[in-house]
Amino acid sequence: MNEFKINNENKITSGFTTPEGYFDDFSIDTNNRIILPKSRIKVISINTKRWVTSVAAVLIIAFSITFFTKMEVNNSDDNVLMENYITNNSEISQYDLITLLDKKDIENLSVELNLNDTKMDEEFANTNEIEYYLTE
Amino acid sequence: MEEKEFILQLLNPKTQNNAFQKLLSDYKRPLYNHIRNIVLDHDDTNDVLQNTFIKVFQNLNNFKGESKLYSWIYRIATNESITFINKKAKLNSKTSQELKTKIIENLEADIHFDGNEIQIKLQKAMLTLPEKQQLVFKMRYFEEIKYEEMSTILGTSVGALKASYHLAVKKIENYMHKN
Repeated sequence: MNEFKINNENKITSGFTTPEGYFDDFSIDTNNRIILPKSRIKVISINTKRWVTSVAAVLIIAFSITFFTKMEVNNSDDNVLMENYITNNSEISQYDLITLLDKKDIENLSVELNLNDTKMDEEFANTNEIEYYLTE
Repeated sequence: MEEKEFILQLLNPKTQNNAFQKLLSDYKRPLYNHIRNIVLDHDDTNDVLQNTFIKVFQNLNNFKGESKLYSWIYRIATNESITFINKKAKLNSKTSQELKTKIIENLEADIHFDGNEIQIKLQKAMLTLPEKQQLVFKMRYFEEIKYEEMSTILGTSVGALKASYHLAVKKIENYMHKN
């Protein structure tokens, strides 16, 4: 068998082919991707506006902090209003309170009010409503 | 038309469209062949070719005219092709050589290849070469690019390119004889 010499042989082509009309379509596609977008559409690069986005983010965070802090203050105002409302408009009767309070609660109350026999005697002696309290 | 004048036309918005049409018309076929010889698949070649023209267009302002426009465009196309094949190989968890081997093995089933037995054999023979040698052989043998031009595209001396081509030919002849 003769040795294969590439320069002695007929030129071997690569054998690669393209679809029919490929190069015409390629020009159209490439023009659409390069020339048309450049001439018709003004492209705004996101990268160049990055600082604007950063400033906007900082402002949003700053406003959010102020807003939520204010919300908390409003919440505490609301709590005071709610307490006042319950105090002034509640329909809880003294009987309800007696039912709701247990022995420990009553002991706590006595500590807070510092009630003792002497004080109670003084109070009974100076009030006209003693009979009312006794019946209640 | 002088090359400098042509580049000015490409940069001028008024003459840009016509100049770019000429660039496309002059380069699309030779660049297609150049890229196809590296990435092997038609669809991949189409993507790389479009990216090449986009890069050329976007970077015309940076073209300093130190080399010829032709060499500069071919350098972009070569880099794009090599980057593409490496990325594709990585995605498929293969080396670029393994990926090319797979494509060549399936060449007969490729609708955009109408080569005969000897053409397939030549493709397989080229796979036995180191990557740089493959590139030099394809650019010289298929595309008939002169060594001086190849030197400016690949940044390798003419002497080294000649030696590389000579070695490639020897290995290919040996493969073709044995197989």
